[in-house]
Amino acid sequence: MHKRNRLFVSIALVYGLMGGLVAILRLIDPALIPGNVPRMHGHIMLLGLILMMIYGIALHVLPRFGGFPLYSERMADWQLYLANAGLPLMIVGWLTMSDGWVVAGGVMSYAAIVLFGLNMILTVKATRSASHEN
Amino acid sequence: MKIELLVNSGCSACAQAEAIWRLVADERELELAVLDIAQTAGAARVAQLALKAVPALLVDGELKAVGVVCLEDARQLTQAAPLKAHAMLSRMGMFFSRENRWFIVSAQIYLMLAGIGLVLNGSLLSDSASRPAFLHLFTLGFMLFMIYGLGAHMLPRFTGNPLVEGSAGAWLQMGLAHLGVTAYAAGYLAGWQALTLGGAVCAWGSLLIFSLRVWPVLWSSQRN
Repeated sequence: MHKRNRLFVSIALVYGLMGGLVAILRLIDPALIPGNVPRMHGHIMLLGLILMMIYGIALHVLPRFGGFPLYSERMADWQLYLANAGLPLMIVGWLTMSDGWVVAGGVMSYAAIVLFGLNMILTVKATRSASHEN
Repeated sequence: MKIELLVNSGCSACAQAEAIWRLVADERELELAVLDIAQTAGAARVAQLALKAVPALLVDGELKAVGVVCLEDARQLTQAAPLKAHAMLSRMGMFFSRENRWFIVSAQIYLMLAGIGLVLNGSLLSDSASRPAFLHLFTLGFMLFMIYGLGAHMLPRFTGNPLVEGSAGAWLQMGLAHLGVTAYAAGYLAGWQALTLGGAVCAWGSLLIFSLRVWPVLWSSQRN
């Protein structure tokens, strides 16, 4: 398994634990963490745990299921950087109630999503073209 | 178990013997020493045993064979040594282990329970007071249980590193996860904050155990 994909899965687990801790602290005392905590918790779990886990697993299995290499390793590397720059920025934005940070982080997270989507489409498309040729 | 293979760098049979023993050493917990008879340690062993030919094989200091031992015989000779963990993995089938099967089955049950929120509230994200209960039946119950079951099944196969199946850790993770989801949802539905908090702590504990279980699978240098 490619190191980048193992990083995605590992980071997903770290985000999962972090998001869970945020929820527990909020349940203990809502004033313990400043800012928009429910939104932060939701996005850490969805963009952090679930999406990073899907990134790591899908980047590994989809090319194998298709029988073709990933369209672009570089796109996948940038996807890792952008996803992991975007979510922390969004978290900072919710902690400080600063929409600017949230928007900046959101743009980066979205860029990672687009890179992933295009990379997967182009990988699967290569598979389909080849099967038509055969 | 200690395996000593005495070889000569210019001998093709020795290279063949070394390749076979490296394969066996990859499968079994044993100490393999390949000694070149042109070097001091190898020469001393040859003199001590009065050997006339190489490759020669010593198992725990006892001369067992002179010449190339085929792979089958090498495996026979080392049967007493325990299998390495990844070799055990390669003997695993492709089917779900018992606990992973339970994780997947449980996920579907939680999905059906979460769906009741759709019927009652018209949305998983409704403004109803029961929203967190149904939302977390979906996220903690369905999604997290799917990650547990599929992750524990697939990651060892993707990395080539083993995950101990049926361990106490796996079942503790399962117990905490069930306790967590049900207590969390019940706490919200009953309006009992302490139960919700207890559920959240249990669910977090299950994720911590899962992370500790799969971390070596992801980062062990054995196969990566």
